[in-house]
Amino acid sequence: MRHILLATTMGVALASPALAEEFRWASTTDPQTMDPHAVNSAPVLGFLNNVYEGLVRRGQDMSVEPALATSWEPIGDGEGWRFNLREGVTFHDGAEFNADDVIFSYQRASGEAADTSSWFAPVSEVVKVDDFTVDIMTSAPNPIFPDSIANWMIMDQGWAEANGVTEPIGEGENYATLNANGTAAFMLESRQPGLETVLVPYDGWWGDAQHNITRATFTPIQNPATAVAALLSGDVDMINPVPIQDAARLSQSDGVDVVQGIEARVIMLGFPHQAETLKYGANEGDANPFLDVRVRQAVAQAVNVPAILQTIMRGNAEEASQLVSPAMRGYSEDLAVRPAYDVEAARALLAEAGYADGFTFGLKCPNDRYLNDEAVCQAVVSMLAQVGITAELDAMPVRNYWPELREDNFDMYLLGWSPGTFDAEHPIRFLAATPNEEARLGSWNFGGFSNARVDELLPMIQSEIDDTARQAMLDETTQILQDEVAYVPMYVQPLVWGVRDNVSLVQRPDNFFILRWVTVE
Amino acid sequence: MLAYIIRRVLQSLLVLLVVGLVAFSMFRFVGDPIDNMLGQERTVADIERLRDQLGLDDPFVVQYWNFLEGAVQGNFGISYRQGRPVAEIIADRAPATLELAAVSGILALGFGIGLGIFTAIRRNGFSANLIMTLSLVGVSLPTFLIGILLIYIFSVELGWLPSFGRGETTQIGGWSTSFLTESGLKALILPAITLGLYQMTLIMRLVRSEMLEVLRQDYIRFARARGLREKSVNFRHALKNTLVPVITVTGLQLGSIIAFAIITETVFQWPGVGLLFINAIQFVDIPVMAAYLMLISVMFVGINLIVDLLYFAIDPRLRIDGRH
Repeated sequence: MRHILLATTMGVALASPALAEEFRWASTTDPQTMDPHAVNSAPVLGFLNNVYEGLVRRGQDMSVEPALATSWEPIGDGEGWRFNLREGVTFHDGAEFNADDVIFSYQRASGEAADTSSWFAPVSEVVKVDDFTVDIMTSAPNPIFPDSIANWMIMDQGWAEANGVTEPIGEGENYATLNANGTAAFMLESRQPGLETVLVPYDGWWGDAQHNITRATFTPIQNPATAVAALLSGDVDMINPVPIQDAARLSQSDGVDVVQGIEARVIMLGFPHQAETLKYGANEGDANPFLDVRVRQAVAQAVNVPAILQTIMRGNAEEASQLVSPAMRGYSEDLAVRPAYDVEAARALLAEAGYADGFTFGLKCPNDRYLNDEAVCQAVVSMLAQVGITAELDAMPVRNYWPELREDNFDMYLLGWSPGTFDAEHPIRFLAATPNEEARLGSWNFGGFSNARVDELLPMIQSEIDDTARQAMLDETTQILQDEVAYVPMYVQPLVWGVRDNVSLVQRPDNFFILRWVTVE
Repeated sequence: MLAYIIRRVLQSLLVLLVVGLVAFSMFRFVGDPIDNMLGQERTVADIERLRDQLGLDDPFVVQYWNFLEGAVQGNFGISYRQGRPVAEIIADRAPATLELAAVSGILALGFGIGLGIFTAIRRNGFSANLIMTLSLVGVSLPTFLIGILLIYIFSVELGWLPSFGRGETTQIGGWSTSFLTESGLKALILPAITLGLYQMTLIMRLVRSEMLEVLRQDYIRFARARGLREKSVNFRHALKNTLVPVITVTGLQLGSIIAFAIITETVFQWPGVGLLFINAIQFVDIPVMAAYLMLISVMFVGINLIVDLLYFAIDPRLRIDGRH
């Protein structure tokens, strides 16, 4: 055997090291499309942020900064926003950028066929004032509108019309799913879906290039062990993510660094707030104990979050007290403490609620959605056992998980939430508002949590211009959600990237990888 | 002969239809593609519209029928994940798998038969025993472990070979080949060894035991007694008679080389149809899964048919039986 291995490798010359400015990176997910309006998912938007630009963009600290708009201000008493556009910007094909492209991109991104249309739900009209001024009118005052459109990318009207792609296509193929023509620092040179996507710098970019990349190649690598090996062998310069269990070992390897941060995603436990009975376990058919806030509080106190972070997350994550992480706008600073881990208190609460002898129920959990999700659920099961309640864990791939939750098949479940707008209003709208299909509220509120005051506060938060007043309402909402134990937020998921040590880059909390901040020595 | 072929072809078609039916009855358990296709801000109405559009709520028999209807017209549907015609995607990916399978097949066959003969002739020699012992590794270690081991030795530690991918490819017509570039050839080595190792040891052990069997036969003794040269006895008389079972196994193994390429392709991020299938499962990309499974079963059934026909060609006894 050994003979064969040697024989076949003998004649092979040493692999040549990569050129310094050529950059190669790998991630588990290939962006599904190159069309910025066709699929509203993080892999697509994150990748296309290197190719397309919006009116505004997010900086290294997630703050909103000018991009294709140089400035913006509210119109009147909040009737809308006026955006002053940057002059002298050209698309990758040389076409000039102006207000018509903004209007066109609004129509394209908000139309029936677009997956991004919900971003424009508050918009009533977009008006071209002159070639470099656009007014975006909203049906109600909308203070966070500029924050909410950082991923709304502008496409050239002429290019889209010439190539017959004036409408995005989500489940199919057209010119724009394979080609791109943005204004950002990198141009799409070639695209082979699922295999390789190559970007090259755009010389005509309006900004000052801070990177020194001459060519960037993205390869999706699904198998984590393969990605780690590719990084160690220098076949790629950066991988995202690094498996948590490999992070420590990798950071000690020569030539490789591990870049860690915390993501925007909060991992929490959810309860059935509407179900009358338990659906799983020995107590199936009995009254639903989670309707009692004391039981929910007991769960919150029984879960030893620091221990989970220490063991399963290997010290890489941070505790969470509310539905958003501290990096988000509208985070409630004064409510930053999560319920203390206290077995005695939890037992007392259960006894008070009439469950001194505990009960059995079913915990649903995904096993391929969040970092170490199943292990976290197993830890939760054993921690709950310590206060006398028995959870029967049912972990499954995420492709089976959401349909189960939609069918209400759970007694408790695990959920992670990353607010697309990076604002505390986002999870309230999706997770805490009473589900209402028409109004597009509570669409991920599987447990059906409902609180009249929260429902009342939400539209007020959405339209409050004054930051202090808005924060007060957000704080009030957070207080209600904490008091009611609507969810049990546990921790903010970590971000772990692996890079070659000659690469410097910026890790943004939204897990977007921005090429223009990469330098290779 | 003709009747035999027709009968076999009809049986094969039946097998294909059953495979498809089983596959479609299983898809609902794989999961729901909808959540992968819609963003965070989807509503229940969006979900229902898309389910309806894709026909996901139809009974699986109806879904299967729709698939067959398209398939006979050469239309395998549109991939949920990539939004491109499935036939096009598979045609894009097939060269990678076929080249890998061909190289591993040739490696397995060449080294398998060669080492098999060697260990049979020198069956008490030290090196033959060493090879036999080592071959246990090939049979018993799982493919992914061998792959990862090879990557760590030759890519991470020694840095000789690329750890993943296909290297640079050249486009010839609709076929992308990695045979023509240095990086492409280098990228082939590790995956081909990983994929072919099991088959190689299997063929080697088979050839060895068949050969030992044959070498004990009377006609070999007579050949030796006649004073024929050792070479001629071993290769012309003994080897030829060991080949029938080897062809059967090789034929079937050729099918499994392509089918089991899934694991090797995943470990090496080899952009072939196996990796495509794995990704399709994760995404619940039903059109791709269906087309892949049908393709693999067509291949297995076809290979079996060819192997059966080859028997006819090689073994005259079957031909005489066939005329009865």
